Amino acid sequence: MPGPGLIEDYRAAVSAQLPASIVDELADGLAETYRSYLDQGLGPDAAARAAIAEFGEPALVVAAFTRASPARRAARRLLMTGPVVGACWGAVLIAGRAWTWPVPIAARVLLGMILAGAVVLLATAALLPRYRPARHAATAACAWLAAVDVAAVAAVAVLAPHVPWPGLFAVPASASRVAFTTRAMRSVLRP
Amino acid sequence: MRAEELKGHLDALLLAALEDGPRHGYAVMEALRQATDGRLDLPTGTIYPALHRLADAGLISGSWSVVAGRRRRVYQLTGAGRRALAGKRADWRDFAAMISAALEGSPCPDPA
Repeated sequence: MPGPGLIEDYRAAVSAQLPASIVDELADGLAETYRSYLDQGLGPDAAARAAIAEFGEPALVVAAFTRASPARRAARRLLMTGPVVGACWGAVLIAGRAWTWPVPIAARVLLGMILAGAVVLLATAALLPRYRPARHAATAACAWLAAVDVAAVAAVAVLAPHVPWPGLFAVPASASRVAFTTRAMRSVLRP
Repeated sequence: MRAEELKGHLDALLLAALEDGPRHGYAVMEALRQATDGRLDLPTGTIYPALHRLADAGLISGSWSVVAGRRRRVYQLTGAGRRALAGKRADWRDFAAMISAALEGSPCPDPA
């Protein structure tokens, strides 16, 4: 039957790019659309073509899901708020005259690479027009940032009496971001 | 009416389509088509991401069932969704009255 064959091809096309629960929901909607055209008297092939035309090509639907995905929303929010959190910690470092600390240059470079890596992952999740890679990038970025924030807050806890006053802002900022990234990861990974 | 003309209004339309009771995605689109005499011309597949976005925002909730051997997700308004719909309706009335006043010279009602 050519009609259902086209419907199956459609399902296969979206299955390759979207999670199973979304594919099931789309398949149900497409089947309903197809059935409505059959009820109007079209043959299977014409009904399938009409249903796909009404539903939108797979690329269009996948792009719409990617734009509205939790991964993209989380990545954009983290990119927007990142400079604020970064400025708080920057103030801690400046107030504490971090350039005088006995930290090896390799450790400083490593910290810079870790932060740059998080930004690259977030930018990938925010801009990549593909659902699954954006989801993976957002998940990795959330975990990465949560680890950085937990490490920063733990360092403050260890050095508590000697932490400069901007730490009063930096610690809550990082704690808020840990709470957000934890929620975001749950949302992004929801099946 | 094309998708780009609906920008900013799709959420309100979807919430309104669920006001009378739970619906699945295709039924939501059908309700919108009937309400607009078929003038709403959106690819049906593109309303599903908008429904997911509204569900993530807590304005609607989705539940799964099995119909004719297929998994079906049915959406319904939450309390927050009903409040959001009321707010969007009021905003739309104000906006439409303001634009009508500017384009057609009709009296602009005082803001409530």
